[in-house]
Amino acid sequence: MRKLRTFFLRLGGWWGRAARERQLQDELEAHFQMHVDDNLRAGMAPAQARREAALKFGSVASATEEVRGAWTVGFLETTRQDVAYAVRALRRTPAFTATAVLSVALGIGASVAIFTVADSLLLRPLPYRDPGRLMMIWENNQRRQNAEHNVISPANFRDWKAQNTVFEAMSAFTHGPATLQSGQRVEEVIDQYVTGDVFDLLGVGPVRGRLFTPAEDLPGSPNVALISYRLWQNWFAGDDGAVGRTVTLRGHAATIIGVMPQGFYLRNRDVDVWEALGLDPARDYRKSSGRYLFGIGRLKPGVAEAQAAAQMHTIAARLTAAYPEFDTRWGITLEPFRDSLVRDVKTSMLVLLGAVMLLLAVACANVASLLLARHTARRREMAVRAALGAGRWRVVRQLITESLVLGATGGALGILLARAAVAGLVAMAPQEMSRNASIQVDARIVAFAAALSILSAIVFGLLPSLAASRDDVQQGLRDGARGATSGHGALRNFLVAAEVALSVMLLTGAGLLVRSVAGLEAVKPGLDAANVLTFHVSIPSVRYPKPAQVTQFFERALTELRRLPGVERASAINYLPFHGIASGTHIDIGGRPPARPGDELSSTIRTVMPGYFHTMGIPLVSGRDFTDADNVETTPYRFIVNQAFVAQYLAGQDPLRATVSAHMQLTNPFGEIVGITGDLREGSVDQVPRPTIYYVQSHMASTSMVFVLRTAGAPLTLAEPARRVIRGLDPDLAVADIDTMDRIVRETFARQRFSAFLLTGFSAVALLLAGIGIYGVLAYSVTQRTREFGVRVALGAAPGKIVALVLGKGARLVLAGIAAGLASAMALTGLLKSLLFGVGPHDVVTLAGVPLILGAVALLASWLPARRAARMPPVDALRAE
Amino acid sequence: MGKKSDVWQGTLALMVLKTLETMGPLHGYGLARRIEQTSGDRLLLNYGTLYPALLKLEQEGYIAAEWGVSDNNRKAKFYRLTRAGHARLRQEAREWEETSNIIARFLAAEKEA
Repeated sequence: MRKLRTFFLRLGGWWGRAARERQLQDELEAHFQMHVDDNLRAGMAPAQARREAALKFGSVASATEEVRGAWTVGFLETTRQDVAYAVRALRRTPAFTATAVLSVALGIGASVAIFTVADSLLLRPLPYRDPGRLMMIWENNQRRQNAEHNVISPANFRDWKAQNTVFEAMSAFTHGPATLQSGQRVEEVIDQYVTGDVFDLLGVGPVRGRLFTPAEDLPGSPNVALISYRLWQNWFAGDDGAVGRTVTLRGHAATIIGVMPQGFYLRNRDVDVWEALGLDPARDYRKSSGRYLFGIGRLKPGVAEAQAAAQMHTIAARLTAAYPEFDTRWGITLEPFRDSLVRDVKTSMLVLLGAVMLLLAVACANVASLLLARHTARRREMAVRAALGAGRWRVVRQLITESLVLGATGGALGILLARAAVAGLVAMAPQEMSRNASIQVDARIVAFAAALSILSAIVFGLLPSLAASRDDVQQGLRDGARGATSGHGALRNFLVAAEVALSVMLLTGAGLLVRSVAGLEAVKPGLDAANVLTFHVSIPSVRYPKPAQVTQFFERALTELRRLPGVERASAINYLPFHGIASGTHIDIGGRPPARPGDELSSTIRTVMPGYFHTMGIPLVSGRDFTDADNVETTPYRFIVNQAFVAQYLAGQDPLRATVSAHMQLTNPFGEIVGITGDLREGSVDQVPRPTIYYVQSHMASTSMVFVLRTAGAPLTLAEPARRVIRGLDPDLAVADIDTMDRIVRETFARQRFSAFLLTGFSAVALLLAGIGIYGVLAYSVTQRTREFGVRVALGAAPGKIVALVLGKGARLVLAGIAAGLASAMALTGLLKSLLFGVGPHDVVTLAGVPLILGAVALLASWLPARRAARMPPVDALRAE
Repeated sequence: MGKKSDVWQGTLALMVLKTLETMGPLHGYGLARRIEQTSGDRLLLNYGTLYPALLKLEQEGYIAAEWGVSDNNRKAKFYRLTRAGHARLRQEAREWEETSNIIARFLAAEKEA
């Protein structure tokens, strides 16, 4: 008990040393003076009085030392001394310290920044109850490519839900834009339509109000909506009265019944409004609709994914047998919920994590090699300490403390770097990466950074410290006397070669990605994306109930928009290419018998206004574009198809004489093909273009259209004028998603570009560090061999010979590193495969180019010390030391 | 007059506590002097060794210290016994008596033999 009290007092003694020290001095001073006073009173001469008092007291030094020792805990005290000493020692060598701290800071900063992003995507718990048991339920089509994760049919969903015994609950949802109006404010928001039970399935409740009742999830029920916390704050200032308020949603009056918690989202963070999906129990969706829902299920406790998948396969087979015309070749894919969020991003993230770890390793190797040189230079100091009785561990501890101080400083700087970098990363990241993440540096990340710094410090500090402490004392003293001639050369060489090898690996990865991005950007997207402004407008079908009214609205809008100065051409399309979803359905070719179930032809379907292809710069290969005359409901159906459609479905016949029909509406009369357009390299540019049929607006009126304006100058300058045009036509409409086509197309390979950009940055840093490493080793060896070079020059060696000597040493290190690095890179680049385009993982250009770049850097790094060695006057060199 | 004895390890604390009990608050120098006097000048005390002992007792909470002014108007640190210190003193004194009793018995027994 008393011991504990003492311990804590002593722990506390860490602080306020100066005051204690002063008090102790005062106390002893008083003691001495009182003693002298007494002695004087007793009749002693002043000198004798002082002498006697001093004698009686004994050793002041030992008394004060003992008191000081008791002030604080011994371990802490020596640590404090070590830290103070380390800081002093590091300050004396600012160049070394700055290089080392900067290396660590770059390594830690990059690691922490990437970890922060990866953490929020891959590690952070999802805001649902027991999210590990949540599964996305997809349909898959065995005949199509990349159809493993297809959206699902409401009919199939209902049957799965009824027949399965492996899921505790199963829900479905979809989303779309919706115009929300409250008072004067009109905006387009993302509306998610969910089956009423989805919140129970997720285990999330509202912060205000209530969830949907089962009755509200039926067709024809009154319109009620849940709103996001964000919308609640922005539109209603967090007012409790928002619940119960009536707003206009998609042109209908709707009552707000509740507010969802802050940060709640289901697959899409942009959603601000939830409405009940309202599936009709009486309707046969297999007759009327295709596949358009997202399915989610919660596994029953104790049910494994494989077990659930097995049962769902059985159900799918049963449904195929029961509904061959709808379900032939359609199966079910289960996917853990989190995997479904990060499916494509995961590879990029893991590659980037790997890359920052390599970078950190380069940084550690660099600092370790610098430390080795430093320790070697301080051999004499170490030897003196050892000679004075410092134990080996005391010396190691001192050196490790120095590393820890470096690590901590570098780490702190790294966290600052990471904070700045994360903001940049999020701005630059592909939407699929930033959309699902709330990315910020928080306490967990700081803890991670601290742990990483300490770990790095131990990694780069331990080896050199052990090596330094193993030195023989006598040897050290003697060596020191005539300047160290050797010292851990092998270890340093190894470290520098390792840096080179790691840099080669990073550079190879960066090279492959850069070449992929170059390849991707070289692929013609099939349209002229420059100077095209796009924005989205949806009009409420309540107020525009007839297709003719819809068509008329968009025609009027286009007429007005085309009049804007700076607009060269204007048109509109229902789903913008390169921007996610589009409809797709089965089609029939005129004159051919209907396809057997499972063998149907399918095509992407888009609706356009006349002039779309011209506006977008999509070439018409043959035939003609839609005209205003086509854009009238009473004209016969006419279609434009793309080249891929012709190639896949109309081979060997004159496409302009063919007729097609798409299963889009209740009646789908065959219509003639009037034009053929070029293909768009959509989705992933390395995929084959999908067959596409274009409808003209009047024959499949869409109330939601994306306007495309070809502009003379910078597209975004027309955003505001365009918005005024739309609001002028109908003040209750919102203009949303204002963007440029250029950016949208580029976003398609944002993932590759992002990875390439970062990897290039990391490689540049690694190269710089490796360069510093090479320079350090050679400069050091030149200093060591000053005398030798002097002798050589004095004996007639040409300066070129000296340069060659130094360069040769550098070349050996670099070549060894390059060889090791290339071998490792060849083994690892396979992991990049899914990010590569147009280059193989063993791309010769990259594998040959990387050593060239490294060679150039190495040459530069070696050249400086070599030149110095060669230029040294032999007399100076001989006189050195 | 015999040879002066060094202060035994561990007994200095007891002497400090007892002195403070009898004398009330004292500064370090006063304590040192008083201990010497009490021992009839038979103890050889290096005054310097008193201070670590005082710090230890203070940290253990048996004595408390505060700054005050000495008889001849010097600023000095005065030590006084705490309640824990009183208890400690009683316990130590008892143990010490016990020990010296036992030792005394042994010494007496030796004479008999």
